[in-house]
Amino acid sequence: MPILYGANPTWADVTPVPQEDGGPHPLAAIAYAEEYSEAMGYLRAVMAANEYSQRVLGLTEHIISLNPAHYTVWLYRAKVLDQIGANLADEISWLNPTALQHLKNYQIWHHRQTIIDKLGSPEGEGPFISTMLEQDSKNYHVWSYRQWLVKRFDLFDEAELAWTESMIEADARNNSAWNHRWFLVVGRKGGQALEESIVDREIQYAKAAIRKAPQNQSPWNYLGGVVRRAQLPASSLKDFVLEFADLDEPDKVFSSHALDLLADIYTQDEDKKDEARKALDLLAVKYDPIRAHYWNYRKGLLDSSPAAQQIA
Amino acid sequence: MSLVSGPGRAGMADTPVELQLFVDKHVRYIQSLDTRKDELEYWLTEHLRLNGLYWGITALHLLGQPDALPRQGIIDFLLSCLHGNGGFGAAPGHDAHMLYTVSAVQILATLDAFDEFEERIKGGRKRIGQYIADLQDRETGTFAGDEWGERDTRFLYGALNALSLMGLLHLVDVEKAVEHVHSCANFDGGYGTRPGSESHAGQVFTCVGALTIAGRLDLVDQAKLGAWLSERQLKNGGLNGRPEKKEDVCYSWWVMSSLAMLNKLHWIDGEKLTAFILQCQDPEGGGLADRPGDMVDVFHTVFGIAGLSLLKYPGLQEVDPVYCMPRAVTKRCLGK
Ligand SMILES: [Zn+2]
Repeated sequence: MPILYGANPTWADVTPVPQEDGGPHPLAAIAYAEEYSEAMGYLRAVMAANEYSQRVLGLTEHIISLNPAHYTVWLYRAKVLDQIGANLADEISWLNPTALQHLKNYQIWHHRQTIIDKLGSPEGEGPFISTMLEQDSKNYHVWSYRQWLVKRFDLFDEAELAWTESMIEADARNNSAWNHRWFLVVGRKGGQALEESIVDREIQYAKAAIRKAPQNQSPWNYLGGVVRRAQLPASSLKDFVLEFADLDEPDKVFSSHALDLLADIYTQDEDKKDEARKALDLLAVKYDPIRAHYWNYRKGLLDSSPAAQQIA
Repeated sequence: MSLVSGPGRAGMADTPVELQLFVDKHVRYIQSLDTRKDELEYWLTEHLRLNGLYWGITALHLLGQPDALPRQGIIDFLLSCLHGNGGFGAAPGHDAHMLYTVSAVQILATLDAFDEFEERIKGGRKRIGQYIADLQDRETGTFAGDEWGERDTRFLYGALNALSLMGLLHLVDVEKAVEHVHSCANFDGGYGTRPGSESHAGQVFTCVGALTIAGRLDLVDQAKLGAWLSERQLKNGGLNGRPEKKEDVCYSWWVMSSLAMLNKLHWIDGEKLTAFILQCQDPEGGGLADRPGDMVDVFHTVFGIAGLSLLKYPGLQEVDPVYCMPRAVTKRCLGK
């Protein structure tokens, strides 16, 4: 039965511990594939003996290559690194290809975070993240890790903003990249007011992206967010919105998001209730019928008290 | 909620085949999961075993087949995953973690087995509660998943979920937890894993769920979040988890349950979503996949069925949108 460890003299002192199946019930019995089963047997043995050594590092590496989602292995590996004072730069060199092989795994990111935190330098992380994002540009774990990196090493700078812009340029529909921009520009401010020049810059930036792809949700959300954050009235966007949705030309609506915002602007204007109703009808019937119930709900608000009309 | 129209109510015999839920096939599929130990896949997913058990049991209860898995075997298995510190691992020999501990509590609640558990492990319930409570960072209100300290709103939600089911919410600082959730609210109305993280429907579910348990939905910008959630519906009826992403059956649950907690479930098209979920079934082998044509798994099976329950699909038990458990069970545990 043993294949790799049983015949290996460096492991001769260890007796593998078989899977404990918790008693005579059918819900957990022994049937690992041989390789995995053997490696796990040795892991249980070294864990029971609290062994921290180079060979255990190799063993965890082997198990992770077979099953990276096994969180107990990651935890034990982290303990081993700590106990034997391993070279952490080597750990990162090993993690890079491992992360690329297992794109959906998230344990690996927490592990990486603790290592980089101890190393105390973000060097090399930027290029590695870019390589990861080439595989999946919206990988949630990778973007979360990037935020941590920016906070940990105070990287709220022009270079980070330029990199984020390049990500948006590559794909304006990448909502993760838009969120990162918000995090860099607005989020870091906490409750503080934004400078007027920044508000202007952000509004222009979002508008330019919308003009390129008017039906893209992300820049519309961003634009609305900046306007609200700066406490500007929604009506300040009216001229812009009319570029994409004008009630005088109901057949030429280029963006349901524009029509949504237009309805909102009209709703807040006591004299424009009919226009608001018309915009919401267009959404319910023609431009976004799958959400007809929602648009009709908004229409219902038009007849209720002004306080209930603040939608956006 | 009443505005959501299910598919035809004429009874299964008159339901067109594309709108049928293959109840018996799904029951058999879930029963079969544990007999597949000769497959490597079974062992490579060992780190999800306890979650998988919760998903399977919940699906069976919602399908009205609560006895389709052996109760005693389940309880024995749970006990074999319990650590001395009151936490549960995914399987015997795995470290304790918040996510498995929550699943274990949910299973005990669903099987109405707290008393039996207490008989076998004296003071066991309290010990579980203490394990969870010790994972709270009292400064920030957040929760870690285990001793290694990764923070995520999923863990915070899980903690409030399990503690409330056991009547032990007083062991943690709920107010601080609420403050933390509130700090994860984003400019688009949604919530992420940590302050600043991108809005994600799964994370919205955990945050709105936590706030519902804490009785603090007043902190949510409900119109804005409701609009964001309803925007998740795509033309094919399915729901995605973030803007510009693909539809996926599990998001039926994260999005719909959040809308249900906000009383806005009628903002999406229930008929089209029902049809989408039903298309994700394997009509022969049973089980549901993330989208039509893909491989089925127990995760998408339970969330598809729970979604159909929220949509009032005929013949299913009512699901509690906050806990993803049968409503009858949460009523019994919470007394409301
Ligand atoms: Zn899914």
